[in-house]
Amino acid sequence: MSEAQQLHRLRVRYIKAGRLAYLGHLEVLNTINRSIRRSGLPFSVGNGFARRIRLQFSQALPVGASSEAEYYDLMLTSRVDPAEALRRLAEATPTGLAPQQARYLPRKVPALEAWANRSAWSVQLDAPGATVEAWDQALQALVSEGTLGYMRGDKPKTIDLGVSLVSCQATRREGGLDLRLDTRSTNDGALRPAILVGAALAQPQMKGVAMEALRVCRLGQWHESQSGGLVEPLAMEPDAASGKLS
Amino acid sequence: MRLKREDLYSRLEPLLAKVSKPSRYLDHEWGACESQDGPFHACVIYPDVYEVGQPNLGLAILYNELNRAPGISCERAYLPWVDMIELMRKTDLPLLALESSAPVASFDLVGFTLAHEMACTNIVEALDLARIPVRASQRAQDDAIVIAGGPSVWNCEPVAPMFDAVLLGDGEGAITLMAQTVRDGRARGLPRADIVRNLGRIPGVYVPSLYQVVVDQTSTRWGYAVPIPGSGAPERILKHSYQDFAQTDPVCQKVIPYMGLIQDRLSVEVLRGCARGCRFCQAGMTYRPVRERPADQVVQAVEKGLRATGYDECSLSSLSTTDHSQCKEILTRLDSDLEGTGVKVSIPSQRLDSFGVDMARCVGASRKAGLTFAPEAGSQRLRDVINKNVTEQDLIDAATNAFKNGWRRMKLYFMMGLPTETDEDVLGITRLAEEVLQVGRKILGPRSGVSVSISVAVFVPKAHTPFQWSGQLRMDEVRRRQDLLLHSAPDRAIRISYHDAQTSQVEAVLSKMGRAGFDLIYAAWQHGCRFDAWTDQFSYERWQEAARQVGIDLTDVASESFDLNARLPWDHTSPGVLKGYLQREWRRGQQGVTTPDCTRTSCTGCGVCPTLGVHNQIEEARS
Repeated sequence: MSEAQQLHRLRVRYIKAGRLAYLGHLEVLNTINRSIRRSGLPFSVGNGFARRIRLQFSQALPVGASSEAEYYDLMLTSRVDPAEALRRLAEATPTGLAPQQARYLPRKVPALEAWANRSAWSVQLDAPGATVEAWDQALQALVSEGTLGYMRGDKPKTIDLGVSLVSCQATRREGGLDLRLDTRSTNDGALRPAILVGAALAQPQMKGVAMEALRVCRLGQWHESQSGGLVEPLAMEPDAASGKLS
Repeated sequence: MRLKREDLYSRLEPLLAKVSKPSRYLDHEWGACESQDGPFHACVIYPDVYEVGQPNLGLAILYNELNRAPGISCERAYLPWVDMIELMRKTDLPLLALESSAPVASFDLVGFTLAHEMACTNIVEALDLARIPVRASQRAQDDAIVIAGGPSVWNCEPVAPMFDAVLLGDGEGAITLMAQTVRDGRARGLPRADIVRNLGRIPGVYVPSLYQVVVDQTSTRWGYAVPIPGSGAPERILKHSYQDFAQTDPVCQKVIPYMGLIQDRLSVEVLRGCARGCRFCQAGMTYRPVRERPADQVVQAVEKGLRATGYDECSLSSLSTTDHSQCKEILTRLDSDLEGTGVKVSIPSQRLDSFGVDMARCVGASRKAGLTFAPEAGSQRLRDVINKNVTEQDLIDAATNAFKNGWRRMKLYFMMGLPTETDEDVLGITRLAEEVLQVGRKILGPRSGVSVSISVAVFVPKAHTPFQWSGQLRMDEVRRRQDLLLHSAPDRAIRISYHDAQTSQVEAVLSKMGRAGFDLIYAAWQHGCRFDAWTDQFSYERWQEAARQVGIDLTDVASESFDLNARLPWDHTSPGVLKGYLQREWRRGQQGVTTPDCTRTSCTGCGVCPTLGVHNQIEEARS
């Protein structure tokens, strides 16, 4: 049996909270890499030029967004009790990125980043003049246009709202709106809540409404099967793991 | 006026979404000292952005030492990037320390690192943003005491008006004494002037306000500093030298950043000081004596440091790591101990004559990207003038070792405009590079993709070196020689890059001027200069405007040479190296006579050991 076949896949759910919401994706990756090294767990190192830890992450979270459900898969060279592994990781990780759950999965599963293609978001929009009706109308206008154009740095991008926006529910609160968004990512990209909110506010229905602050939090991530069922990353069964869900 | 100590993070937070790299301002890193109970509060500042300042080992050493001292807390601050500075000014938010998010102007003691001359306008910017009066003479009784220290104190006159006190030499031990002196003075209700005077009684501490500048026929046009009559200040301040370097904690990086730093790795200082005696090198003259850590301590420190920090790369840092008498043993042991962990061990710069086969095998064992050597000059004649003490054969041998051990890219550092340089010396640079390229192609094959990069800096004469009397080569002549070099390299596998001649000229001006240099710095800052070490921020035109305003010409100041017997603006601050030794070395340089390394032969008479009561501390005989 080769070394690769003896590896153990530990899937970890972690948060991104407080000030650390302002970390970029690469910064999160670096920090977790170092946390794993500090934890002393028997991590496996790849054979590439850079000799990195064998580690896979779920989809990038935007800078400024917090999360209750981020995931990474860590390959270990020997099996450590999951509770013990979680404890050691927690002791070595900044609290803003604290691991919450850990579980072993079959060694061969689809890569997390592409597999976890559904997200739920809580969006708090501080915009005193905003109403649910105006928001819904603005959103409807956007959806009816089909694709949404936006800038990512200097590059113009587009995203198909018909595919990427699953649902959006707005409720009014003092000083603004609370939104619950469900999004779907594809090979063409993922819809960022801040992009959607920015575009909606630019619609005539929201004229005169100024955004004072925006807080975005990812509530969960799932895999959406062909039948539309949602699979929790940590509830993944061996069959689901190999992509045989029906 | 001292600002109130209060947590202002709630005012900073709304700005984070509007700036680039918000992680610069977050704090809460792994290992940061979040408990800041004081009651005495110090803040150490690196006058550049977080990713440039955070890797600085000197500040890490001071941060740890002050936080260990009972009753003293120490925080960090960096200069925000220009986008954040603009927002902070717009929202009336002063410069904050990281750990407590309290205003820097609320601290008892504020200490700046003088890392290099080109950070001087950033110090003005930091003080102004903090709302601490920029000139020490304008500070109120209860304002923070502002001090400085670091590698660039050796002509601190141009920035001296901003500091209440400047620490010359090693910070270990001295920084706590300074903090305690301020604390005790405040507790006793002493006037600010008395507290500052008491700081001047600590060995190695220079108090600029106790000195006045005299210009006469014995000096250069920048004069020299003498104690104000009745001040009780010494005529010459000797640096503080910490002999027990090997007793200090070798793992001083406790704070592990979120964002990528310019040097993002564990760094263990394996030795301090260098006695090779390169005549242009300020660090080589000012960090003496040479003190090594034992191999056991280094190996254990690297392993402990890697476990504690989570870094996957470690640098064995010093002025000249391959000179460590146990370097080979250290590298061999680390190579074996770290096998299979994916950890890379690196050395910041390799000396040509001490880079052996074993070192080539062990350095960066798993990742062989580029390797850097510094021949500094293109001909043996000029290398003898600067006392580099390496030969062409050393370079060929080192390159052979490197190429045979898997490296394909070689980087060579040179300087242009060294005293006595001719066109022949300049052309020698490409000739050397071509030889190295041929060595690589012979070993690895003609189509192996071997490449050689040449990086050419402009020589800047520095205080307390044998070349301190030299003027800088005029900019038009620098450009002519740069063109000459550029057109002399036909092979596309040789890449040539230059340091900007304008930046180097401003650096030379700040290295040569006395206290009058502050007027230039302040005027430059008023014209918008800051982040001068950043090529996209540096503006030569603004510096020229500032120079016109204060009535000087940058080219004129930079290229002026000084009389060998003139009193110099920095003569009152001493790293222990005798002026007579520097004069002798200047003459020997002119004659092309070399001087050996005192850690390998006998004493060469620099004066550091008898003057400071210290000695070289070498673990084994150096080869």
